[in-house]
Amino acid sequence: MPFNWYEQLKHKIRFWLLARLPTCQETVQVISQSLERSLSIRERVLLKLHLWICMWCQWYLEHLLTIRTTLRSQAEKNPEMELPTTATLSAEARERIKRSLGAE
Amino acid sequence: MSEVQVKAQTTPDPGIWVDQHGDYLFKYALFRLRDATAAEDVVQETFLAALKGYEKFEGRGSERTWLVGILKHKITDHFRRMSREAPIGEQSDDGPEHREFFRAEGEEWTGHWALDHAPTDWHASPAELVEQSDFFRVFNDCLSPLPQRTASAFTLREIDGLSSEEICDTLSISVNNLWVMLHRARLHLRNCLERNWFKREPR
Repeated sequence: MPFNWYEQLKHKIRFWLLARLPTCQETVQVISQSLERSLSIRERVLLKLHLWICMWCQWYLEHLLTIRTTLRSQAEKNPEMELPTTATLSAEARERIKRSLGAE
Repeated sequence: MSEVQVKAQTTPDPGIWVDQHGDYLFKYALFRLRDATAAEDVVQETFLAALKGYEKFEGRGSERTWLVGILKHKITDHFRRMSREAPIGEQSDDGPEHREFFRAEGEEWTGHWALDHAPTDWHASPAELVEQSDFFRVFNDCLSPLPQRTASAFTLREIDGLSSEEICDTLSISVNNLWVMLHRARLHLRNCLERNWFKREPR
């Protein structure tokens, strides 16, 4: 591969920036809050820059959104979130509830 | 039609009710409360309230939807009662901080992802995941080690889609406290899913 000065420059800029931006540990907190409230302009710019150079945090955000969307559409399909480990009312609880309702 | 017949039609048989809807309501409550005894209690309260207020139902919509509506209120009441009985102190457990996911002080790139915990590409869309019932079993197992209150906050937010204000009101916590809980739950769950569902070995 020929010497690619452009790629090298990009690489250098990314590391220079990453050293000056909030860390991943700080950024994941902001990513989580971005799902709860609207971020300030400053927070948004710092987040965008961080995501531009950090694939890991890009994936982190993508995964949080994937988890949210998956859970919500599952809940729509199946609100009791029935799990393969079939939890049911125990016979004892069933009887107790029936008694409390006045059924024999 | 005699009066007796009319009465027979408008009063439900509680025994049949419990058989028809009991398990459904129990699962619904168990998933949100993560405590079998508490789930049994709210189901019982739901049936009692439903029996008392049956005339309000008047056959509008399905009986189950109506019962779930009552159950939701009973679940909220349960959370309120819990936070009255055990108010969150400063030492309360919001869940693991998972500092080990990031590079420690003194290492190069302190505070950035540690290599063996950095996220990877999942190559999976929500549409695909929703079809895999196993995904929810793994998800449920991942939720279990979290403190009950943190797991419940996460469920109310991400599954029931309640707003931050509603959850803070229900759990009697501050919004900052909720954000910390949600952040820790997400950090933990994402990693747990990656390990146990996407089967990524630590590098």
